Amino acid sequence: MNILAQLVISGVVVGMIYGVIAFGYQLTFATSKTLNFGQGEALMLGALVGLTTINFLIGQSLGAFTAYLLMLPVVLAFGLLQGAVVEFLGVRQAIRTKSEAGWIMATIALGIIFKNLAENIWGRDALRFPSPLPEAALTIGPIRIQPMEIAIVLGAIALMIAVEVFNRRSIYGKAVVATANDRDAAGLMGINTRLVITFSYALSSMAAAFAGVLVAPITLTGATMGAVLGLKAFAVAIIGGLSSGVGVVVGGLILGISENLTGYYISTGYKDVPGLVLLLLVLTFKPSGLFGSAAIKKV
Amino acid sequence: MLTIENLVAGYGKVQVLHGISLEVPQGRLVTLIGSNGAGKTTTLRALSGMIEPQSGSIRLDGKDIAGLPAYEITRRGMAHSPEGRRVFPTLPVTDNLLLGAFTRFTGMRPRGDTSADLDRMFELFPRLKERRNQLAGTLSGGEQQMLAMARALMLNPEVLLLDEPSMGLAPKLVEEVFATVARLKERRITMLLVEQFAAAALEVADYGYVMENGRISIHGPADQLSNDSAVRDAYLGVAH
Ligand SMILES: Nc1ncnc2c1ncn2[C@@H]1O[C@H](COP(=O)(O)OP(=O)(O)OP(=O)(O)O)[C@@H](O)[C@H]1O
Ligand SMILES: [Mg+2]
Repeated sequence: MNILAQLVISGVVVGMIYGVIAFGYQLTFATSKTLNFGQGEALMLGALVGLTTINFLIGQSLGAFTAYLLMLPVVLAFGLLQGAVVEFLGVRQAIRTKSEAGWIMATIALGIIFKNLAENIWGRDALRFPSPLPEAALTIGPIRIQPMEIAIVLGAIALMIAVEVFNRRSIYGKAVVATANDRDAAGLMGINTRLVITFSYALSSMAAAFAGVLVAPITLTGATMGAVLGLKAFAVAIIGGLSSGVGVVVGGLILGISENLTGYYISTGYKDVPGLVLLLLVLTFKPSGLFGSAAIKKV
Repeated sequence: MLTIENLVAGYGKVQVLHGISLEVPQGRLVTLIGSNGAGKTTTLRALSGMIEPQSGSIRLDGKDIAGLPAYEITRRGMAHSPEGRRVFPTLPVTDNLLLGAFTRFTGMRPRGDTSADLDRMFELFPRLKERRNQLAGTLSGGEQQMLAMARALMLNPEVLLLDEPSMGLAPKLVEEVFATVARLKERRITMLLVEQFAAAALEVADYGYVMENGRISIHGPADQLSNDSAVRDAYLGVAH
């Protein structure tokens, strides 16, 4: 029983990371029907930029916790910028010429370039990321959990709520939703929808970069850390549905927990199998995702 | 206010408008009528920047706006209530209306009193007030039509383009739409109205243009067009 609870909790932590990255996929899909296949690399770059920043701040004799907090705005700003660059270089032309393959190839290619760039700047070895919180696990009832793991779950939820509040409350957020609903009609409102799409790419990479510095203290940081996470989050986005905010959280949890359970009770060699099977089932029987729905539209 | 000369536009390689010239003076209601497929919607789309004209000039307040993107044209004060309503289905009624005033909230157009204007829309369209929190996608067709009109008005436009505001409505609601248009006219809002109910449109309008196969065939003061035998035979039906 203890071990089961433990496995579920660790699954939730990983699942929330998948959820945040998948949430990023949704943001660009909503406005432009395109995805950034370099989302994993956006996460990796965010983590590495965060690593350099936090090490610099610790070098200024700041404590790890303070340094981490000060590092966050730097990483978020970097993520925004990196996402805008991806949209500008890789996606804009493809959208303009309505080229389906264009954005897929371009975002994958940019991801590879970012990975090579990171290998040249930070090297090929995995690096340790200073933990802002005590690393000793807390014991809560039957389970043991690291403070950083709790921070991951809370941080992930906070980010998604923040974006949701922005979308619902601010006029700019409403403009994003309007663009997602009907791009031409949004243009008639005076909304520069091309800019909205750039912004959604920026926000998407920002979410990934944030996920990067959330997960970095409990894993290792390096140029290759993003690829698998990005791919799994893509599976989560498909399972949960590219249009459902609840879907990515639930999809992330399903994948995270099932991986952990399979890894322990069957074999670590098979831990990716249930997720992939679920992915195939969803693609076959409910291609819009478990929670995806057709847009409410009355003619 | 709005002057169009030799406007040529279409979709891809297909040319639909073959040189349209028309004028909408300040504070006037001008109607554009014609049979299905004549190019009325295409004209409005070219005016508001939804499609890029191939040639010709469109002057709003003396400045050429032909070829500008839709958001730029909106920022200069042209509101377009498009064919098919195009409300934002996943947003509540109120948010749809607020988005109509997007340029005013973001400093691209004079702000004025947005909440007073919102109240005025609810006065003009009481149905929308009752349903202010309902998602626009779940409104009835008639309600969506009112919302599309109200949303366009929230711009505080210099010129309002209305594309078949009566489309798909029950006769009772059609009457209501024309009553609303008449009220807007009293408020001296400059309007270009595209309508299938040609007789009703000519009754409320100051001036009319008749369109045939992408060209203006006849134009003149509205009362004169209503009495023109060619127009009557082709567009006003036998009831007259
Ligand atoms: N998106 C499009 N792509 C290609 N051709 C189009 C498109 N929209 C309209 N057309 C064509 O352009 C011509 C004019 O259409 P338009 O919609 O302007 O007519 P309309 O006068 O508004 O007709 P209705 O009264 O039926 O609304 C038609 O022949 C139509 O088939
Ligand atoms: Mg039409």
